[in-house]
Amino acid sequence: MTGPQGDVGEIEALVTDRYLDALLGSRPEVGEVAGPEDADGVGAVVRAISQRLATDLPRFHPSFRFEERLALRLAELAASMRLPVAAGGEGQPIPLRRASPMLERRATDDDAPPDDRRPLLLGGAVAASAISLAGAWLAWRRRATQARAGGNGA
Amino acid sequence: MARRALWRVGGADSPARIAHLDRDRPLVAAAKRDPAQFDALYRRYLARVYSYAYYELGNHHAAEDATEATFLNALASLERFEERARPADGEGASTFRVWLFQIARNEVAAERRRARRRPTAPLEGALTIADPLDVQADAERHDDARAAWQAVGRLPEDRRQAIVLRFVDELSTAEIAGVLGRSEGAVRVLIHRALRAVAGELTRPE
Repeated sequence: MTGPQGDVGEIEALVTDRYLDALLGSRPEVGEVAGPEDADGVGAVVRAISQRLATDLPRFHPSFRFEERLALRLAELAASMRLPVAAGGEGQPIPLRRASPMLERRATDDDAPPDDRRPLLLGGAVAASAISLAGAWLAWRRRATQARAGGNGA
Repeated sequence: MARRALWRVGGADSPARIAHLDRDRPLVAAAKRDPAQFDALYRRYLARVYSYAYYELGNHHAAEDATEATFLNALASLERFEERARPADGEGASTFRVWLFQIARNEVAAERRRARRRPTAPLEGALTIADPLDVQADAERHDDARAAWQAVGRLPEDRRQAIVLRFVDELSTAEIAGVLGRSEGAVRVLIHRALRAVAGELTRPE
């Protein structure tokens, strides 16, 4: 329940709020003017401290390096949000199964630099290549069979 | 210095109405269509969010962490942000910055909890570290500014947040009410009492 004291406090707070609206809205002149004209109801103490805080509390800016680093992270996040699923936007790198020990040994024997054996991200291109190879092999088998059949017929 | 481009619409009894000239609404719409456009909102509010975090945490690194988490969260959940401002609130009215500062407030609280779990400075040093003017070489020279900040820094948390949001981030009372989850009248009283407390502190003879 709000008593008379509370009412007075709320009215004072409302007048202060109006004063702050006017004061902060005219920031550049804050040091030069005594206060907005409609500030009659604001106590001298509140007025003085408001003006002081308006000028003495600075706004800080982070370092340029931080700003650009975060901008880059946001751009990366934005790009991942924008990419459609069909283009691999929601795709995640899939760790490959370890190659057979024999293949690993061969890779070592070839003196390949160790960095070249990093995990690969496989996608549709490899699948398409596999289908093409299978198709070529089938076509070759068919031609070879037909040639053999033709030879036998002759 | 940044100019304030806000004013309240209607009388004292009207609900929390905010009129903006800051054109947040088109920027938010653009960012929703194309997340890369969020950059404009990021540049606009970076210093404000960072300042808020810095005043609250008193440490550059912690403020950077909270700022980073705020913007990453904001972008990730921008799709779910709903504009609550009504046409009656004025042309270009937007609640985006209230939403952004609500995220910042949560991130600051999370950062404070993390710091409590792994304190990196002795308790006696916390008061010194918590003074941002100690790290700002330019501002350090101004004893008045230092005294003002120290007086604000000693306020209870809700009053301090209200003062920083009002004077540093230049949010309106209605916006602060949205950020702190209080009524506009309660925020007005909070700020009025905070000003009186700071005045008492600064005018007290040493």
